[in-house]
Amino acid sequence: MSLIVVGISDLQTSGDPQDVFITYSLGSCIGVTAYDPAARIGGMIHYMLPLSQIAPDKAAARPAMFADTGVPALLNTLLSQGAAKNRLVVKAVGGAQLMDQHKLFNIGERNFLILRKILWKNNILIKASDVGGMMSRTLRLELDTGRVTVKSSHGEVEL
Amino acid sequence: MSVKADLIQRLSSLPTVPVMANRLVHLLNDPDARPGEISRVIQYDSALTANILKAANSSFLGFTQPVTSLDEATVRLGTNWVFQIAVSSLIYSNLRQPAAGYGMSADETWRHSMAVAVMAEALRDLLHLTSIGTVFTAALLHDIGKIPMGEFVADAFPALQELVDEGNASFEEAEQAILEVDHAEIGALIARQWRFPEAIVDCIRWHHYPEKAPVITPAIDLVHVADAICLLEGLGIGRDDLHYRLCESSIERLRLNQDTTEKAVSQTMAALDAINAAFINAPAVRVGR
Ligand SMILES: [Fe+2]
Ligand SMILES: [Fe+2]
Repeated sequence: MSLIVVGISDLQTSGDPQDVFITYSLGSCIGVTAYDPAARIGGMIHYMLPLSQIAPDKAAARPAMFADTGVPALLNTLLSQGAAKNRLVVKAVGGAQLMDQHKLFNIGERNFLILRKILWKNNILIKASDVGGMMSRTLRLELDTGRVTVKSSHGEVEL
Repeated sequence: MSVKADLIQRLSSLPTVPVMANRLVHLLNDPDARPGEISRVIQYDSALTANILKAANSSFLGFTQPVTSLDEATVRLGTNWVFQIAVSSLIYSNLRQPAAGYGMSADETWRHSMAVAVMAEALRDLLHLTSIGTVFTAALLHDIGKIPMGEFVADAFPALQELVDEGNASFEEAEQAILEVDHAEIGALIARQWRFPEAIVDCIRWHHYPEKAPVITPAIDLVHVADAICLLEGLGIGRDDLHYRLCESSIERLRLNQDTTEKAVSQTMAALDAINAAFINAPAVRVGR
């Protein structure tokens, strides 16, 4: 097994069933896993912000920073590696907030909203999600089984 | 003996911040300082000069002609940039320590401090609050109190956690309730012991509660908001997790909107790559690719 850490503003894909993806410190950011169980190809993204229009140059350098550039990049990479869109199992985690958080800072909520929009346009449903609340999360995807787990201060659960 | 008294006794055995850092901070804040004064002070420290030149020549800044002297770095990148790299390397080499009870390694503590400093600067620029020379250093040191507090937090962690989970307390409120002292209070004492300007001490003291400050300055609001955004964005989350309050009035006072906030986040991520290139002996702080 090789553990591949997906950093902040990072996306990774693989067709090696030995690989396990993990991403840490999901606060208001969203971690998305996409997995094709038949082709056993999968990927993970950890994006920070919803829309790239606020900084197109940053999005060009690091598409995975934003939902609207990163999520399509994740899907396209998987499809080009042989995954089929209608088989993709997509799960999403994160979108948390601080105590007393002002609306303005509701990056987490906006991050999740835009994800649903992008996936809806692609005819993909979110199979499972664990979003919101006031805790950070760690997300894990095992490529041989497609098993997705979420860990927070409340413990670890399968999604 | 109370935890606070115990901590105060230990403060004298903490590593000290180099005199140079203090001098640079005072110089930057001195309206009478002559231009070029900062690089004149730095040039006598060859290790520091080397770090600055290394940073100036990092590929992230993309100069085709190498920067060969401090003066050249100052001209190309500005006094503020040279100051920031200098203060960061001085603090890095002396104060990079774990905050054990908070579940933060030395690297993670550093990564969070640096991120908050860069974020605070990005916000300051975007909001055109150009006159604040203290924000970067204050942000870099805002959680310094966690280093000596760590041991006590480790012992009291179950009680702290319970208060946070059941009592709807923020982590800092829980520290105050159980240990009768919090990391912001200890951090301010440390900065004062190092004779940093009071403006910096105040930013550290009130970084979780700007509204409790006797005089609320833009610098206090900036450090608070930068810390909150970094926590949210996962730039340095420890066992205290996201259990901190966001002060809404800080956002109103700064007239901070969503666009500016998100711009600051994207700029911070790019700037962190460049600034981390300055630290010769350190592995670069990895925040994605
Ligand atoms: Fe803090
Ligand atoms: Fe902090």
